[in-house]
Amino acid sequence: MENMGLGLTLMLIGMLTVFVILLIVINLSKVLISIVNKVAPEEEAPKKKVEAPAPKLIDANVMAIIEAAVKELTGGKGTVTNVEKL
Amino acid sequence: MDILNKLYEMTAFAQTGGDWTFLIMILIAFVLLYLGIVKKYEPLLLIPIGFGVLLANFPGGGMGVVQAASDGTVTLPDGTQEIIWDMPLHKIAHDLGLMNFIYYMCIKTGFIPPIIFMGVGALTDFGPMLRNLRLSIFGAGAQFGIFAVLLASLALGFTPQEAASLGIIGGADGPTAIFTTIKLAPHLLGPIAIAAYSYMALVPVIVPLVVKALCSKKELMINMKQQDKLYPNKTEIKNMRVLKILFPICVTTIVALLVPTAVSLVGMLMFGNLLKELGAMTSRLFDTASNAIMNTATIFLGISVGATMTADAFLNLTTIGIVVGGFLAFALSIAAGICMVKIFNLFVKKKVNPLVGATGLSAVPMASRVANDIATQYDSKNHVLNYCMASNISGVIGSAVAAGVLISFLG
Repeated sequence: MENMGLGLTLMLIGMLTVFVILLIVINLSKVLISIVNKVAPEEEAPKKKVEAPAPKLIDANVMAIIEAAVKELTGGKGTVTNVEKL
Repeated sequence: MDILNKLYEMTAFAQTGGDWTFLIMILIAFVLLYLGIVKKYEPLLLIPIGFGVLLANFPGGGMGVVQAASDGTVTLPDGTQEIIWDMPLHKIAHDLGLMNFIYYMCIKTGFIPPIIFMGVGALTDFGPMLRNLRLSIFGAGAQFGIFAVLLASLALGFTPQEAASLGIIGGADGPTAIFTTIKLAPHLLGPIAIAAYSYMALVPVIVPLVVKALCSKKELMINMKQQDKLYPNKTEIKNMRVLKILFPICVTTIVALLVPTAVSLVGMLMFGNLLKELGAMTSRLFDTASNAIMNTATIFLGISVGATMTADAFLNLTTIGIVVGGFLAFALSIAAGICMVKIFNLFVKKKVNPLVGATGLSAVPMASRVANDIATQYDSKNHVLNYCMASNISGVIGSAVAAGVLISFLG
């Protein structure tokens, strides 16, 4: 019977703690959302600017050679869709 | 003849000492392997656990984990007794064998479960939870099963530590159940781990069973997207990427301050998640945490937990109690989550599908997938997955906190 008292206490404290912690997490997240919305409202998107100037650096001759090599190696099954200089 | 005798003595048959209970354990190992390999129930865990059971139960093999008594005493194969905590690891490896070395180094120290939590964190997306914060509270209701079964187990005569370890199965979170059991009742580790993972594998059976017993068709047809359109969320997230980076750091800090005993689980979960959310900056660490380390930890955990299931430790009434109690804990957690949603719905205009409450127990993401399947059975356009994930993920935090409370009170 002594243990049952302990069990009930644990149930009460345990459930209360879980609720309180999750409520804190939820409200903390709300605060975070409002702070982030104020401080860093939009995702900076410089990606397109970087990708946009993709100059044609591959010479037509080189392209033809690469295509021929790929065809030779893949037995005519492979095709070249894009070649980039790294 | 002498050679033949020696050959016979070399085999496991000569070392049974007339005790053939090991055959039952080998049969159990075969069943677990069958469930993992053929039925594909949690194969990543049931196969290592099943093989661990197999390895541990060959007489003379020395692969079974030797459980220390409450004062730390273990009996060595030569019959002498030692205090396990006074034995250096190399002596454990030499005297008790490889499996005990892994168990006492990785499992008994509580090292592996938080490491697995790190991997789980790296694979978890808190996005659905942050988008539906209101629903996250249902992750708390579903922890009721843990405490209800704790109470029932105490009434049945289990010690408080054993009852807590049994109840934690209701958290539906393998690493949390193992972590709590290691701290409170390590002698029950084998059956509790098996029960926890078996019931997690049976989520597609247990969740529909409880849901159909407690929910009406009308309730299951509550369309969360329609509710969102009728009553739109007031908070709009403008920068999810930054929010997802700040979230694990802040949650760890808060939980660590309030329930320090839960921090090894929650902290590692959030650390793994931070590695994921930082993207390219930490992609190498994320890759290692979610693949190499997670897989290594799973192997050691599975095989050594399996090895704790020797005939002496497993074939007794306590194991039956754990199997029954574990199921009750699981079912009660689901039921409590559903009831919490029902009560909540009485007071709000924006109704919530009770399936969101049912997924408040962890078992991420399988519980949410199962709930989504149930919802689409009634209305093919009613996809509740993202909403269920909110309570499902907060349930992971909830069960870790519940474990922290149990450990700090009973440890």
